Amino acid sequence: MNENVIEVENLVKYFDGRCVLDGINLKVPRGCIYGLLGRNASGKTTIIRILLGLEPPTRGQTFLLGAESANLSAKVHSRIGYVAEGHNLIQNYTVGRLIKLCKDLSLHWNDKFFEHLTETFRLPMDRRIGQLSIGMRAQLNLSLALAIDPELLILDDPTLGLDTVARRQFLELAIDLIGQQNRTILFSSHILSDVERIADRIGILAGGKLVVDCALEELKNRVKKFRLIFPESAPENLYLTEIVNQEIEGREIAITVANWNQQKQAMLGTFQPSSCTELPMSLEDIFIECTKPDVAPLAHL
Amino acid sequence: MFTLIKREIEDHIAYFLGAAILSSILIVLSISAAYKAKLDEHPVYSIGLSIPVIVILVIGFPAMGASQMYTDRNRKISAFLSALPVTRGRILIARIIAGILAILTALVPLTITATVLRPLLMPPVPIYPGLIFDMFVTVFLMVFACYCLGLLTGWASSKVTPTLAGLALTFVLIPLIAVKGFGLHTTVILILFIIASLIRIRQKFMSTAL
Repeated sequence: MNENVIEVENLVKYFDGRCVLDGINLKVPRGCIYGLLGRNASGKTTIIRILLGLEPPTRGQTFLLGAESANLSAKVHSRIGYVAEGHNLIQNYTVGRLIKLCKDLSLHWNDKFFEHLTETFRLPMDRRIGQLSIGMRAQLNLSLALAIDPELLILDDPTLGLDTVARRQFLELAIDLIGQQNRTILFSSHILSDVERIADRIGILAGGKLVVDCALEELKNRVKKFRLIFPESAPENLYLTEIVNQEIEGREIAITVANWNQQKQAMLGTFQPSSCTELPMSLEDIFIECTKPDVAPLAHL
Repeated sequence: MFTLIKREIEDHIAYFLGAAILSSILIVLSISAAYKAKLDEHPVYSIGLSIPVIVILVIGFPAMGASQMYTDRNRKISAFLSALPVTRGRILIARIIAGILAILTALVPLTITATVLRPLLMPPVPIYPGLIFDMFVTVFLMVFACYCLGLLTGWASSKVTPTLAGLALTFVLIPLIAVKGFGLHTTVILILFIIASLIRIRQKFMSTAL
């Protein structure tokens, strides 16, 4: 099946006159693990909240599992697991009461898997949610989201505030879920190594726009960084398109280019640099280059 | 839906207990007054008792509505529930049903008691048979109208306007009943007001970011 589980069409969102999302278009096919990246306040959580119908868009449309976000039925909701940023659970409830509420409201509940999760995480049933640590709240939130066997799992910065061990446990679980057929995950995070580990497609939000939207491997292949040293002073313009970032210092230029290809390589050759070294780029390097404030607007990757 | 109603009742059990306690106190007072009236062979004029009761109900139930909405907003309960297989519409309906049940908890026992003790509590003048039912309907609608205003107040980010509107309504409703009495005119006005309030609450609740 090649249908899109998540569809965002020309999404615009303003908060108090400030444009947070500026014409976002996004499609996530079934079975994809999509890593949504961006700096603080770049609009990651806003997209997720609009997708779930928790926030109205200013303009544009969003769809989850074929249904418009503003009118998601209970049946569609029953196929979506959601772990919210900050794990907003009902603070004055005990763990046991919250679990019972979620179970009673769910149309499908995998008791066996949920028991396995609560035993793994050792969740104290009689303690109030407000008294749990952030890590335990994250584990409870993930357990509740997974217990319904969701077709689509939306994780909004789920590992925020977790220690290394809890984060690893959390990711292992997510990877387990990925192993199950046709599960789709939308995963937003600040921890790029986590995203790099599980995502197969990446979106980067910067300046209200989705500046990158492609497969992780493709991103790594298409964004290249070079250090060029020229015999005399470095030329001011290399006449290359899709320059993500460029720093000139004396005879040296450090340049990051999107959609690297042979034409661009040939164009660079005409300037006859005395040395041209390709610098290896991790996802973190690409992310930093793409989200620099002084970067010219990127062509869609 | 039953789970959502149960959750609302459990979270606001204090109002249900308050309604039951108020009702019980009034029943005990009515029975003792009726018993005394039987011994003295004098009827009791119960109008004096009904005014403070109406005032308590008119203050208590808007407080419940406001508390339901304010707690939800403050603790992001609907935001959490909306991520489960529950629509906002159902959350609101369950909330309103819980409010109606709380009002009925206070009024139904009182109405039954009044019906049973009517010959002893009423003045010795002829009254039409449907008076207690009309009283029940009017008081229920009045308290429910105030409860709806409480819901609006609790959900609004600015509390001043809805609170002032609530107070104004209370000052209008009580003289309205005093002038028009318990009957069709009052019922129609209250129903229109309730419909308008419910439409506004629905529109606000469905469109606000959670």
